[in-house]
Amino acid sequence: MTRAFILLASLVVAAAAHAQFKLPDLNFNRLLDTAKNLGNAVHEPTESEEIAVGNDVAARLLGAAPLAADARTQQYVNRVGRWLALQSERPDLPWHFGVLEAPQVNAFAVPGGTIFITRGLLARMTSEAELAGVLSHEIVHVVKKHHLKAIQKGALASLSADAAGSALNSVNPEARAKLISFGTELYSRGLDKSDEFEADRLGVVIAARGGYDAYGLPAVLQTLQAMNASDSALALMFKTHPAPGERLDALGRMQSVLDAYSTQPQLAERFVAETKTAR
Amino acid sequence: MKALLPLLFLPLIAWAEPATVIRTTDLKAEPASDAATVVQLAENSRVEALERKGGWTRIKAGAAQGWVKMLALRYNASGEPKRGDTGVVQAFNVARTGSSGTQVTTGVRGLDEEQLAKAQPNSAELAKLDRFAVDRAGASDFAAEGKLSATTVPYPKP
Repeated sequence: MTRAFILLASLVVAAAAHAQFKLPDLNFNRLLDTAKNLGNAVHEPTESEEIAVGNDVAARLLGAAPLAADARTQQYVNRVGRWLALQSERPDLPWHFGVLEAPQVNAFAVPGGTIFITRGLLARMTSEAELAGVLSHEIVHVVKKHHLKAIQKGALASLSADAAGSALNSVNPEARAKLISFGTELYSRGLDKSDEFEADRLGVVIAARGGYDAYGLPAVLQTLQAMNASDSALALMFKTHPAPGERLDALGRMQSVLDAYSTQPQLAERFVAETKTAR
Repeated sequence: MKALLPLLFLPLIAWAEPATVIRTTDLKAEPASDAATVVQLAENSRVEALERKGGWTRIKAGAAQGWVKMLALRYNASGEPKRGDTGVVQAFNVARTGSSGTQVTTGVRGLDEEQLAKAQPNSAELAKLDRFAVDRAGASDFAAEGKLSATTVPYPKP
């Protein structure tokens, strides 16, 4: 906002300077428009813009795989997820969690606070601490705006500056459609590796803050590592994330946090009871 | 038949995953750093992982059994596939389409690249998400039921 204001102010000053030299065809309104569009291009999306973009992207993901039919499991995953989100720096986003009816092993974070986990991944977990580890990883993506920043960067690269700005606040439907397509493709291309490693490190902290055994996420990574890497259920997840072994190596840096919170509850029985029909 | 029955339950009780120790590691009698050391395992020792408890995994190394730090283990370290395709994706197709015909060879359903590229917005499913949303109070009650208590843990330095 400040940046847009400075741009506007400097253009006004420039216009005034020009006026002194009596340039008669100076169109002040056009200058103002240009300043506004430049402002749009550089402005940080507002929280409501972020949520709206997230809803559009989430609707597309749900078009690829609907929610699993089991209401009890859906509610359970929302309880675990919302409790963890409360331990984050964005506790009051409209958090939504959903189990997708898909056999693949994966999880997705959508800007604005929507998080999906596939039934294929849920089926390979053994405790609430493991679920908490994965949801915490995804919560970090939202808190750190990893996808939102990638979408914004992509929009700026492929759209003109003013189209990118108006795509964010849905003024330009064509640009908006491009933005959402780009946002959906992101889940096939993946984020920067550094974003994934950050989500692992900080995700372990969020799970520990929530009172869970902090080894939940490493345990899931070991489960993935023990699976056949050429299993078709893993293809997209392995394409878009660093290898589980590499992620476990990186989590070695977190050993002291992991050990300090390793005796917190795992809640294996509650997990099994609440998810049995969906698994 | 009677003799075969116990075999059916074998995968449940005898979970044993081949693993490799990635560094020189003490095999402990109990899952604790101050427990007695049974033997020291050399880097790249091949072991069988049996169960996990917090940051520890119980393993079998030759005749010895005990606990090692979970992060000292890597699975499938040879890079060779140990098992075939789990078949879940195929099974899923049968369930969704009623036949395992051409669907299997032309690509799987669910969340793969192709499905993502083709996906049209599903606003009905999006609206459903709201039904399951949980508020602050609901989340806190749920945590209390599970005896989870919130703790202050700082993020690591970048």
